[in-house]
Amino acid sequence: MTSNFYHPSLAFLMLAAVLPFLPGNRRWKFLLLIPPLAAIYAAFFNQAGAHLTLNWLGQSLELAKVDALSSIFCQVFAVMSLAGILYSLHVNDKGQHIAALLYVAGGFGCVLAGDFLTLFAFWELMSLGSTFLVMLNRTRESVLASFRYFMYHTVGGLFLLAGILLRYKHTGSFAVGPILHASANPYDWLILIGFCVNAAVVPLHAWLPDAYPRGTVTGSVFMCAYTTKTAVYVLARVFPAWEILAIAGTVMAVYGVLYASMENNARRILSYHIVSQVGYMVAGIGVGTAMTINGATAHAYAHILYKGLLFMGAGAVLYSAGTQRLDELGGLAARLPWVMVCYMVAALSISGMPLFNGFISKNMTIQGAAAAHQTFVALGLEIAAVGTFISVGLKLPYFAFWGGKATDWKRDLKPVPVNMYCGMGLLSVLCVLQGVFPGILYRFLPHQEAVGAFVPWQSWNVLQALMLLGFSGLAFYLTRGILTPHKALNLDFDWFYRLIGKILYHLISRPAAFVDNIWTNVWNWAGLGSLMGTARGTVFFDRRIIDGIVDGSAYGVKGAGFLGALLQNGKLQSYLGLMTILALGVFAYFWY
Amino acid sequence: MPEQNENQSGLKVPEGSPSGLGAFLDRQLDAGRIKFWRTLFFLILLAVALLNLLIKSHHPHFGVDRYPFFWPVFGLVIGGVMVVLVKKIIQPVIKKPEDFYGDL
Repeated sequence: MTSNFYHPSLAFLMLAAVLPFLPGNRRWKFLLLIPPLAAIYAAFFNQAGAHLTLNWLGQSLELAKVDALSSIFCQVFAVMSLAGILYSLHVNDKGQHIAALLYVAGGFGCVLAGDFLTLFAFWELMSLGSTFLVMLNRTRESVLASFRYFMYHTVGGLFLLAGILLRYKHTGSFAVGPILHASANPYDWLILIGFCVNAAVVPLHAWLPDAYPRGTVTGSVFMCAYTTKTAVYVLARVFPAWEILAIAGTVMAVYGVLYASMENNARRILSYHIVSQVGYMVAGIGVGTAMTINGATAHAYAHILYKGLLFMGAGAVLYSAGTQRLDELGGLAARLPWVMVCYMVAALSISGMPLFNGFISKNMTIQGAAAAHQTFVALGLEIAAVGTFISVGLKLPYFAFWGGKATDWKRDLKPVPVNMYCGMGLLSVLCVLQGVFPGILYRFLPHQEAVGAFVPWQSWNVLQALMLLGFSGLAFYLTRGILTPHKALNLDFDWFYRLIGKILYHLISRPAAFVDNIWTNVWNWAGLGSLMGTARGTVFFDRRIIDGIVDGSAYGVKGAGFLGALLQNGKLQSYLGLMTILALGVFAYFWY
Repeated sequence: MPEQNENQSGLKVPEGSPSGLGAFLDRQLDAGRIKFWRTLFFLILLAVALLNLLIKSHHPHFGVDRYPFFWPVFGLVIGGVMVVLVKKIIQPVIKKPEDFYGDL
């Protein structure tokens, strides 16, 4: 271990290990702030290079490799962990905190991993932690969703593991590094599938809108930040400039927006928008120029901040009003004014409104794609931008906070804890700061030579954004009657997942049941008979031999006890007499 | 009017005095204020569209976006078409009852 390195996962893992043993007076909550602060320190002061190299089973593992790309992801992960923990400080359930700590530790571990084995270990740790963040919502719906989530990610993880092992067998190396599309082997595609599961690439995405709306209020805030963005990081690291990712990303961007426009569940709308926004990043990686990789990274940073804030806002409404269904909400703007303000900061950020951080990150990817002559990618991303503003920038807040209703003074609202406002406030400030001063984000981008290629604050960029968003807003104003959400389930690819699951279940359980039936018959006929014979033998042995010995010794003990009781009559003279006889006996023995 | 209202820090506030921002937002729901905001919105749209005559794209991405009013038309048409497509055509086909899978 070098002197100038601290692994940001360390304090998260240590706290997760000791938290169950700390006394229940809730002072332990202050300890939760230490790991994020240490991680923020590490993100800024860790030196570039390989750290924590260890030899294990003849392999040289690199637990941490620091460079520009991993540093910026560590930085935003650290900031988000602080905001997320602030937001969840009121939660008394230690299990939820432990799950979040393990999950975040997994995220840091993946981003810093220098080899595929380390990456896989932390990848699975994330999967485990996030499963519990869903399960610990403790409703039937959440527990079922968490099992589906875990099974799905286990399958994704197995693709990844198979790819890693086959790749090792072929190349003899676990090192994480860029793979060229031209020289890719089938095992590289397995790794890509494993990554794409976590990046929620359509059609492998449906786990996300299934699980995230069912997580705990605070757990989903963590989940929306780490799983998909860790996948974006490894895609940028291993598969830059794979054209298929440019296509997949564009499809994701549009697909997520379409589903978000139909949805009624606030956090499911936001979940579909993760698919959409991660699409921008995947497309940027797929185009693969320095400018679009920068754009993807910048957008991942901005996205973590505003998406965390969106989930915090929607979570605060759910916490306070007890529902996240838009058709049951409305008329809350005056009741939860600061929740609404924080939500709107995030909503304008995700939409790419000038002054907010989406404006300085989203357009970098779009213009980068256009500059690389990927016109259809750029067009798809612009279409998605329109849908983003309509569904998450206008529809969600309109129906949650207004909905054309008068202020709902009668509704029972649970007061939103101050710590939740602190988490939202922190992210709101950062969203605006980055939007106004893009330099504080751009200076950390991996390709510094390409940063100058995009200057967000130009009159045309501002006007273009205002025109696009303003007239999308007009489209919303004109069609808001059609957009009014209703209770419904919109079929998605998870229909196929469930079908595949059921088929596999029958494929395994039917033959297993058949074999089991035959085995039962064989057993009844042959196994049971011999077992009965053995049993009779042991009964005979038990009764005649064991019992005989035990009974005999019991009778002996009983007789000795009876004699002892006779002798111990409590009369001192009798004891003296017996002692004399005994002494005489001993004396006679030695004398004789 | 509310019997009692809770401000953002969860403290109970007596009747008739919701926190400053909440009271302001409540007042905006009057018909007159709504009309004001709507007029303001339309004026901003007009101003933004007219500015497009002065400020033009130097690097059009798609060719047609070099002409003024491309982006206003793009936002309005794409937005409108998307809403109608999704809510009127796609959703009726894939819509199921909320507890279709029996998870709830």
